[in-house]
Amino acid sequence: MIPMIMRVDIRNKDQKGVWLFFPVILLWIIAFAFLIALLPLVLVAALVTLPRGPGVRLLLLYPVLLAAVFALSGLRVDVASHRNNKVFISFD
Amino acid sequence: MSEETRKILEMLHQGKIGVEEAEKLLAAVSPANVPTEAAATGTGAKKYLRIQVEPDQVSGGDRVNVRVPMKLIRAGLKLAAFLPHDAQSQVSHALKEKGMDVDLSKLTPEDLEELVANLDDLTVNVEGKQKVRIYSE
Repeated sequence: MIPMIMRVDIRNKDQKGVWLFFPVILLWIIAFAFLIALLPLVLVAALVTLPRGPGVRLLLLYPVLLAAVFALSGLRVDVASHRNNKVFISFD
Repeated sequence: MSEETRKILEMLHQGKIGVEEAEKLLAAVSPANVPTEAAATGTGAKKYLRIQVEPDQVSGGDRVNVRVPMKLIRAGLKLAAFLPHDAQSQVSHALKEKGMDVDLSKLTPEDLEELVANLDDLTVNVEGKQKVRIYSE
């Protein structure tokens, strides 16, 4: 399942920092639209640089990137230092 | 319980067949219902890699709790294959400087599967400092 929400909470010892609750699905829509827009150029590059040129590698990168994005769901990083600095990042 | 399964268990109970033979017969009769060792211990059953660092009660320290989806690790390995060779060697060199002699280009998803399959629950107590626990769930 593609992650829908990204939570970021970064605070220093004075409890000042960044707190973000972001609907990351919007980011994916923009990113996917960008990838689709680039796809014709990538296809041309792949055809021109057959069989193992950089264009082909770029084309093969598409499914790998998609898999990585879909696999982000469930990632959670929670670090609290002894100096009361805190970092929390999660993709749900 | 199906008729075949009942008959196999009766034969086992009567001593007509041994445990191994019974297991084979049960697998032949209903392979979907018999959990294999690989399915139970392989990465297919493990969804996350967890790394927990707990500080010492007395001296304190940093607390770390990381949960990484196994699918992300596999995708990351595939992404690493797209790195240019120069970048891969730089990464390997940097890891080596930190004491980790790992060649990323030779790390395959099968190596990961084997590592996680054998990673039950690893706990390292750093005396007087922290407890590090690495496990998959």
